[in-house]
Amino acid sequence: MSSTGEIAIHRLALQVEDLHVSYGAKRAVDGVSLEINEGEIFGLLGPNGAGKTSTLSAIEGLVRPDSGSIRVGDVDAGANPTAAKARMGVQLQSTSFQSDLTIREIVRLYAGLYGVSLSPVEIGDLLADVHLGEEASKRFSQLSGGQQKRVSLLIATIHDPPLVLLDEPTAGLDPQARRQLWDRIERLRDIGRSILLTTHSMEEAQAVCHRVAIIDRGKLLTVDTPAGLIEKHKDDPRVRKVAHGQVTLEDVFIGLTGSELRD
Amino acid sequence: MSSQASAPLIHPPTLSGILRALFQADLTAQLRNGRALLLTFFPPIAVLYGLSAGKRRAQLGGPIVDVALALTLGIALIAILGYTASVARDRELGVFQRLRVTPAPTWTIMVSRLAVQILSMLAMTVVVLVAAAVVEKVTLDPTAYLLTLAMVIVSSAVFLGVGQALVGLIKSVDTVNAVGRLSFLPLVALGLFGHSDIFGTTFETISRWSPGGAVATLLSGAMQPAAWSADTWWAFLASVLYAIVFAGVGIRWFQWSTR
Repeated sequence: MSSTGEIAIHRLALQVEDLHVSYGAKRAVDGVSLEINEGEIFGLLGPNGAGKTSTLSAIEGLVRPDSGSIRVGDVDAGANPTAAKARMGVQLQSTSFQSDLTIREIVRLYAGLYGVSLSPVEIGDLLADVHLGEEASKRFSQLSGGQQKRVSLLIATIHDPPLVLLDEPTAGLDPQARRQLWDRIERLRDIGRSILLTTHSMEEAQAVCHRVAIIDRGKLLTVDTPAGLIEKHKDDPRVRKVAHGQVTLEDVFIGLTGSELRD
Repeated sequence: MSSQASAPLIHPPTLSGILRALFQADLTAQLRNGRALLLTFFPPIAVLYGLSAGKRRAQLGGPIVDVALALTLGIALIAILGYTASVARDRELGVFQRLRVTPAPTWTIMVSRLAVQILSMLAMTVVVLVAAAVVEKVTLDPTAYLLTLAMVIVSSAVFLGVGQALVGLIKSVDTVNAVGRLSFLPLVALGLFGHSDIFGTTFETISRWSPGGAVATLLSGAMQPAAWSADTWWAFLASVLYAIVFAGVGIRWFQWSTR
């Protein structure tokens, strides 16, 4: 981020305007607008069913929005979905690959789908880089949860996209696997890639994201840096009611979205 | 944020590159799937041997019809059991959703899968025709072989259409598999009697114009081009209509995800 007095001109990696997504009569996304700058990690936080995955699905081209616009870099995703998809890498919340293919073959397939030509040696190097060199001949279902997430992230970034979308990338991982994955995500950030991720972990959001947005019932409630969100909402009575001592990002989250359980 | 950001160069993939990658992967998966290989080659050969050894073979239509019935069964097995099972399973697992977030147009995902199925059917046809030459002493002239392969492609559209309709109308993997097996009776087994009046002429007529019966008539006609008749043309037309109707239903109601 720019320091005081500097004029920062950020190019946008993603621009979403007034996005509406419905499933039948159910409105999943209700007028969401957000912008992600180049080189920024942007976290989308929300309880289950808040509209996080639906927002991501619309950006990824998996669901057709009722209205609104999505631009990936300078490409209108509605008008040119193929070009938009070529500019983003995606890790879905639950991913699976063809069960009869080995990891090496899966990498070769997805490289081909993104127009990346890789020799067998290069594929081996990529797998070794994510500590999966020994697993190259295994099937995806034979890998542990952490290894599967590493394969998914490798494939999401195999074409070196400017924008990476990660839907709950660390869900279900043990602390070691989670730390490794965050290291990889931070490496992407360090080379200037933009990342939009969803997570239920406030600690992670606070530690890694430049900015976070809280979404609930399809609407974006607030957007700012983690520290900015705390500062902005620390005196909100709903937040004060759930805070124990110093206000945290989790207090802000629960204060704004409510304490009741969501399915 | 990073100040040393270097914008990556984006080279959109070519359509031929996408199709090549998908086809290579789908073919590898098909070759590695033992169940698919078994379904491709074993049942039609077994049926061919069974029919050739049966006492009532003349009543079913003779050696050419035996070969046509074996081919019909093989095509139907690959399409209705093999294709539907793999599509239903991959949809359940989320494989299609993963493919759909790539730049690959959705039609390329299905075209690649269908191409692999048609290739399997052509391979099965070659094996059955070789077996027919050995077992039934049925040999064809080159034109008849080529016409048979061409009509196998037309016939594949009928049963791949049926398979597409099944996965279009049913989401659950188990239900798709169960209904696929059940649908064999009216769609394929019924056609076995399209050239036989064992159960009376009404049953023969129904059997002849069932999907399996139409395909068997078409294939037996293709194997004897000199005897290609008005009935063969009607069978061709019926096959095309079946393919259009079933594929239309399958495409109209197909969903890429079960969630």
